[in-house]
Amino acid sequence: MIDIKNITKVYNGVTVLNIPELKIIKGESFGLVGNNGAGKTTLFRCVLDLIRPNSGEIISDGHAVSKTAAWKSFTGSYLDEGFVIDFLTPEEYFSFLANINGLSKDDLTEFLKDFEEFFNGEVLGKRKYIRDFSSGNQKKVGIAAALISKPDVLILDEPFNSLDPTTQIRLKNLLKKLDEETNTTMLISSHDLSHVTEVCKRIVVLHEGDVAHDIKTGKDTLKELEKHFAV
Amino acid sequence: MLLKWFIDHQWKQATRSPIFQKNLIVNIFLGLIVLLLFLEFLVGGIYLGNKWHEIFPDVHPVTKFNSFLLYYFAFDLILRFMIQTLPVLKIQPYLHLPIRKSSIIHYLLSKAFLNVFNFLPLLIFIPIAVFQIATNYSVQQAWVWIVSVLFVVLSMNYLMVYIKKQLVAKPSIVGIFGLVMLALALLDRFGVFAISDISALIFDAIILNQELILIPILLFGFVYFVNFSFLKNKMYPEEIQIRKSRKLDSISDFKYLKTLGQTGEMIGLDLKLIWRHKRTKSIVYMTPLFLLYGFIFYPNPEFKDFFSFKIFVGWFVTGGMMLNYLNYAFSYESNYFDAILAHNIDMHRYFRMKLTMGILISTFCYVITIPYVYYGLDILLINSSMFLYNIGLLSFILLYMATFNKNRMDLSKGAAFNYQGMGASNWLAMIPAMLLPILLYHLFKAFDLPMFGVAVNGLLGIIGLMFSKSIMEILVRQFDKRKYIMADGFRKR
Repeated sequence: MIDIKNITKVYNGVTVLNIPELKIIKGESFGLVGNNGAGKTTLFRCVLDLIRPNSGEIISDGHAVSKTAAWKSFTGSYLDEGFVIDFLTPEEYFSFLANINGLSKDDLTEFLKDFEEFFNGEVLGKRKYIRDFSSGNQKKVGIAAALISKPDVLILDEPFNSLDPTTQIRLKNLLKKLDEETNTTMLISSHDLSHVTEVCKRIVVLHEGDVAHDIKTGKDTLKELEKHFAV
Repeated sequence: MLLKWFIDHQWKQATRSPIFQKNLIVNIFLGLIVLLLFLEFLVGGIYLGNKWHEIFPDVHPVTKFNSFLLYYFAFDLILRFMIQTLPVLKIQPYLHLPIRKSSIIHYLLSKAFLNVFNFLPLLIFIPIAVFQIATNYSVQQAWVWIVSVLFVVLSMNYLMVYIKKQLVAKPSIVGIFGLVMLALALLDRFGVFAISDISALIFDAIILNQELILIPILLFGFVYFVNFSFLKNKMYPEEIQIRKSRKLDSISDFKYLKTLGQTGEMIGLDLKLIWRHKRTKSIVYMTPLFLLYGFIFYPNPEFKDFFSFKIFVGWFVTGGMMLNYLNYAFSYESNYFDAILAHNIDMHRYFRMKLTMGILISTFCYVITIPYVYYGLDILLINSSMFLYNIGLLSFILLYMATFNKNRMDLSKGAAFNYQGMGASNWLAMIPAMLLPILLYHLFKAFDLPMFGVAVNGLLGIIGLMFSKSIMEILVRQFDKRKYIMADGFRKR
């Protein structure tokens, strides 16, 4: 599904990302962990064609992401607050996205109904602009927005951060369900090792821009990861 | 020496902001412009003060000037409401420290004193005091007058600080206030009821009875005290900040636009963007200033045959607002630019939407300013030609230049004197915008074809519109090349 070939990114003479080859197959749940500055967000931005790598290319379902825009129609993403249009109300934002993605009104209603539990009554019907929400609730909006088009590829950067414990658990369940019931390819980065091992069947550890580990999640994965990070 | 620390922190805050450091050249350029403006005002003020008695030879010059003062203060109040920004000291980090509340408040209020509105009028008032009052009365009386007027100006300043903190003055109230003033001015003009007489009476009285200087000083003290005690009781961050209006606006639904599909949806988004941010909204409020610009020049017989100037005015009234929009087409969206790139938005449509908005804005300005034809048919011809130039050529140039601006724009502040987020490209864009039509005109005038020089601008616009599809193609390609750099710049907070 996603082919990463020879990607390097250099800032001020420092290589922050260097991945000779990384293949993520269709339907895989792919977890990305690493310390601050390991290159997680940089990699995701490359996959979304938001930054131009110094070399290499990324192919998403046969489309080179920097050459065409075809991948946008099957990719949902939320990296940070810059991904939501904050002067809209959540309702306006969702209906904007529904229109952009060619969803009908009924599709939208159904979609929002599915997310009722995830929103926990704190998002819809508040008569507030997104910029006036707490960061946790803004994140809920962003994650839901990434899923609105029922994407084949879902990219989330630190989705568990700043969510309350209940919502973290709900998000985990939501992602697990998505993984089991659909063929969605998920790329999820996290600082929380236990969350990411629970959700993802494959974990890649980035260290200073390089792939340090590439593990199939098993019983001992969490211990293995903890050992790697306990320095 | 608390004050020293406050000033030191403020200075560091200003100079260490990434925008200041990145745009040093722009800042120097701006500084020069401000200096130039200051000098122009100074020279104009001295000239006016010196020649004032020759302009109105039949009446007492000082009384005449005093009769305008109330009008000036009313105008000052309206202008302040529209463009004066509140002084903000980020007080939160100081509140938990052992610093007396009143020191913080005094400092906060003294920052409000350093406002260009408080000093620009002095450039006219001081020459009047020197050349008119000192010569007609005495030097001491001139001092009394200038101090009185200064304190009234400062009272206006702090009154506006208070009003804005309270947020009691809605734009509609100011609009009504403006209309009342206009009505009073008309009554004055037709001799029904003369505010100007009252104005003259008040300020003449101060010159003649010098102890009356106490009134403006007391007025100032009162307004300052009201501000002080208001802030003292409200020294909690959540209270001192301007209460955000939680109310939603009523434009939220564009049923008609929704039927237009993605382009309509994007236009709706841009309208909301403009209406829901302070900076863009205050530009909308300034529209009348753009549109009424012609009144300064058209009635003046000196400009009757000054064609290149008329071309400039025509360009400005039909295209000035559009320039404001298209020049920042992308930086207005810097807050969520990543979303524009990552979501399933067709870039051709995105550009078409921006262009459509620009054309709509310009068309609106053009239609509104058609009545200028009262001052001559040539004005309508020039404006029509410039309108076509604006929508058919300039619009594309501006969109092209807009891709070079990678400064994140903070839309939560007012627009006047706000250069945050402006890049060199925005200044560069103004050069072809203003000069090209005038140069073309002069080129053809040199061959004795002045009217053709006017028409050629419109012709260029029509050609541009005819080839808009291919030009769009070039623009989108340019955008694709620049988008990484723009996105990177916009991410820098």
